[in-house]
Amino acid sequence: MAPKTLTAADLGPKETDQAYLCAKCGMCLQVCPTYQLTGREAMCPRGRVQLLRGLLESRLELTDNLRDMIYTCCGCNACYVNCPSGVDVEKLINEARAAMRAKGVELPAGQEAMRSRLADVSNPFGLDRAERAAWLPPELRKPRTAETCLFMGCSISFANNKTGKTILRILEKAGVDFMLLGEEEECCGDPLVRIGETQLAEAMIERNQARFRRYGVRRIVTPCAGCVKSFRRHYGGFESRHLVEWIADLIDEGQIKPRKPVGRKVIYFDGCDMGRQLGIYEPPRRILRAIPGIELIEYDKSREFGQCCGGPLISYDPEMASAVSAQRVAEAAEKGAETIAAACPTCFLNLRSGGQASGQRIDVQDVMALLYRSLKGD
Amino acid sequence: MSALVGLDVSIRERLRGIVGAEHYSDAAEDLYCASYDATLEQARPEAVVYPASADEISRILRLANEAGFAVTPRGSGTGLSGASIPVAGGVVLILTRLNRLLEINADDLYAIAEPGVITQTLADAVAKQGLLYPPDPGSMKSSTLGGNVAMNAGGLRGLKYGVTADYVMGLEVVLPTGEIIRTGAYPVKSVSGYDMTRLMVGSEGTLGVFTKMVMKLVPRPEHCESMLAVFADMAAAAETVSAIIRAGVIPATLEFLDNVTINCVEDFKHVGLPRSAEAILLIETDGVREAAQREAEKIVAICHGHRAAEVRRAADAAERDRIWEARRAALSALSRVRPTTILEDATVPRSRIPEMVAGVRKIAATYNLQIGIFGHAGDGNLHPTIQTDQRDTEEMARVEKAVDEIFALALSLQGTITGEHGVGLVKAKYLKDEFGEEGVRAMRAIKRALDPNNVLNPGKMFR
Ligand SMILES: Cc1cc2nc3c(=O)[nH]c(=O)nc-3n(C[C@H](O)[C@H](O)[C@H](O)COP(=O)(O)OP(=O)(O)OC[C@H]3O[C@@H](n4cnc5c(N)ncnc54)[C@H](O)[C@@H]3O)c2cc1C
Repeated sequence: MAPKTLTAADLGPKETDQAYLCAKCGMCLQVCPTYQLTGREAMCPRGRVQLLRGLLESRLELTDNLRDMIYTCCGCNACYVNCPSGVDVEKLINEARAAMRAKGVELPAGQEAMRSRLADVSNPFGLDRAERAAWLPPELRKPRTAETCLFMGCSISFANNKTGKTILRILEKAGVDFMLLGEEEECCGDPLVRIGETQLAEAMIERNQARFRRYGVRRIVTPCAGCVKSFRRHYGGFESRHLVEWIADLIDEGQIKPRKPVGRKVIYFDGCDMGRQLGIYEPPRRILRAIPGIELIEYDKSREFGQCCGGPLISYDPEMASAVSAQRVAEAAEKGAETIAAACPTCFLNLRSGGQASGQRIDVQDVMALLYRSLKGD
Repeated sequence: MSALVGLDVSIRERLRGIVGAEHYSDAAEDLYCASYDATLEQARPEAVVYPASADEISRILRLANEAGFAVTPRGSGTGLSGASIPVAGGVVLILTRLNRLLEINADDLYAIAEPGVITQTLADAVAKQGLLYPPDPGSMKSSTLGGNVAMNAGGLRGLKYGVTADYVMGLEVVLPTGEIIRTGAYPVKSVSGYDMTRLMVGSEGTLGVFTKMVMKLVPRPEHCESMLAVFADMAAAAETVSAIIRAGVIPATLEFLDNVTINCVEDFKHVGLPRSAEAILLIETDGVREAAQREAEKIVAICHGHRAAEVRRAADAAERDRIWEARRAALSALSRVRPTTILEDATVPRSRIPEMVAGVRKIAATYNLQIGIFGHAGDGNLHPTIQTDQRDTEEMARVEKAVDEIFALALSLQGTITGEHGVGLVKAKYLKDEFGEEGVRAMRAIKRALDPNNVLNPGKMFR
C-alpha cells in the first residue's frame, strides 16, 4: 500500500516555504507546456504547487493521479521567470518527487521503466552497455589520462552517434587534446534526480567522479545540456562546460574556421537546461553567426523566456512529449525558419519526433552538424 | 429561495452526457484545483466541466434549475475577490475551451471573441492590424476576456482609455435559467431597450454566462512618451497629479509608488530609485507624435513646478523600458518580502490620495503591519499591499482589522471599496457600507428576477 500523505517534515522546511510563497496569481498558466496542451489546472505550476499544499495540509490524499500530476511537470521553469513571488517550481517539484520516493511511493509506469533501465544498464534507452562506445574509433573507446574529458552523454552515444562522430571530426580539425570515458562512461545522474531517485543518482555520480579523478580530469566538456547541469549541481572539483562554449571560443581564436556557406534560415532553439538553468544563450548563437550564409532568426519567446520542447515528458508519455514539440516546430515554421538548430540532444531528438508527428517540412539539426557543413572539404 | 442540493449519480451522468466524458471530472485533484483563485479563500465543487458551446452551457443551467445545484463560471481563476470560488459546491464551469477569436473588424473597429480567449492574445492579434484593445489589467497574460468582462477589469490605461466596460459593445449570454440572449449591437450608437450589456459587465458571474463578446477597438496611437518624477513628499506628488489634469492633459497612464514599495523594488531589482523618496510618479502620454511630445513637455514643466526632486524623460525604447522596470517589478518586489501578499484596491477620488496614503500608513502603524502602496494615481485606484503570513493566525487577525479600516477610510473619502478587483466573496460584507441596505436590496431584486432559483454563482456579491 502506497502511503497516503506527504507532510511538511517529509518535504523539509525550505521547500514547504516555497509552496506557501505561491500567491496563486496564475501568471504561470499560459507559459506552462502541459497547461498549454491540456488546459487543466492540475497540469499547471499553480495547480501542482497547490496540490502539494493540499497534501501538506492533509486536505488531499496522495493518489496515483496526484502523483502523476507532480510527475508530468517538465521542470522547464518557464513559470519561475514569470513568477512574481519567485517560486522555484522545478526545485520544489524535484524535492517533492524525492520526498515521495523516500516514502516508498511508486513511480508512474513510464518513469519506473526508465529507472529500471538506468539501474540495469546506466542509460535511459535500455540499450546494452557495450553500445555506448561501439561506434567510437577504437583508440577512444578506453579512457586515458588527460586534463579535458569529452563526456558524450547517453543521448548522443545511444541515439544520435551521427552527431557524436561530427563532434569528433570538428575537434580533430581544431587540433585540441581530450579523452573520453568511452566504455566506462555512465549516465550523469540527471534523469534520476529529475524523478526523485536520489540514492541511485548519487551512486552514479560518485562512480563518474571517481573515474574523472582516476584519469586526472580537470575540465569536463559535454554536448549535453542535462549533463552540464548535473556536473555543475552535483559534482565537485571539476570545471564543466557545454561543448558550444568551447567551440565558440575555438572559432574566436581562429582554430576552427567555418568557410563554406550554408544557405539556410535557421532558428535557434533555447532549451530549458541550456537557457534558464545554465544561462548559455550566446555561445550557440555565436557559432551560428560565424557560419557564412546562415540567416539567424529568433522565436517570439526566446532566451530566458524560451519554451520547453517537452522532452522531459518522453519517459512519462512519449505522445504528450511530441505533441509539445510539435507546437515548437509549428511556431518555428510560422517564423519562416527552414532549420531548427538545437544544442541540447534531448531537444534535438524530441523536436525531430514532434516535426514528424505534425508533418511539418522543417529540418531539425544539431548546431554542430550545421557547423560541420561549413567546415567540410576544408 | 430553495436550498441547493448535492450532485447525485444520475445528475453526474447527465452532466457527462452534455459535455462528453473527457470534459467532465470529479477527481479529487481537479476539484481541488477549482477551489481557489488569487485570494486566500477556498471551497471545493463537486464536479468540474469544460463546456464547448453556449448550447452545452444552456443545458447545464437548465439541469441546475431542475435539480437545484449551484453552477459557478470560471475563467483563469486569477480573481482577487474570490468571485470564482464555488462556495455552494455544485459544478464549476471552466470556460477556457471556448477560446476562439472569431473576428477582427478593422473597418467597424471591433473584435468578436469567445470568453476563454486570453486578454493578451486579443491585444497581440489586434496590434498586428495596427489596432489597440486598451484595457490592460496586470494579469492580462493569463486572465480571460470572459473574466475581464465579468469583473469589469481595469488597467494602467484606465485614466485615458477607461476600463473593460467601455469596450464591450455586445454579448451573447446564457441566462441563469438557460435561455440564450444577445445584448448590445455592432454600431457605435444603439439605444434600444435597457442597457443589458452594462448590467452584465461586472456582474461577477451571477447574472449570466457570456459565450461571445463583441469588443470595441481603437486605432493604435503612433507614439508614446514616458516620464518618471521623484518627490520628497507625498503632498507634492498628489498636487502634481491634480495639476496635470487641470492643465488639460490626460496621460495614458499615471502610476504611483510609495516609499515602502520603492525600497522593496530597490532590494529586489536595484533599478536606481532614490530610497528616501516619498513618492514616484510614472507618466506616459500617447497619441499623434507631436501631441504626445507637447503633452510630455507640459508634464515635465508641471513636475518641476511642484517640487519634483528629479524628472526623467525617456529618450528611446530602452530608456522607456528602464523607467517602467520599477512599476513592473512592484508587485514582485512586495510579494517576496513575506510569504503571503494581500492586494487591496480601495479607490478614492484622485484629489484625496494624500489623505488615503496617510490613513493607510496610520492603519499599518496601529496594527503593526508592513503595507506598501502602489497603483494608478491618475484614477485614484491604489493597491495597499499587505505583507504577511497566512499561517500566523495572530497576525492574520490584525490584518483583518486593518482591511476593515482601509475600506471604511476609502468610503469616508468619497471612495469605493473596490476599483478593480470586484466584490466577490471577500468584500461582500462591505457592500452595504457603500450602498446601504436599500441599494443592496435593489441589486438583489435584479439577481432574483434573472436567477429565481439562485443557481448561478450563489453566495457572491451579497452577504
Ligand atoms: C497579479 C494580478 C494582477 C491583477 N491585475 C488586475 C488589474 O490590473 N486590474 C483588474 O481589474 N484586475 C486585476 N487582477 C484580477 C483578475 O485578474 C481580474 O479580475 C480578471 O478579470 C479575472 O479574469 P479570470 O479569467 O481569471 O476570471 P476568474 O477569476 O476565473 O473569474 C472571475 C469572475 O468572472 C466570472 N466569469 C469568468 N468567466 C465568465 C464568463 N464567461 N461569463 C460569466 N462570468 C464569468 C467568474 O464566475 C468569476 O465571478 C489581477 C490579478 C492578479 C493575480
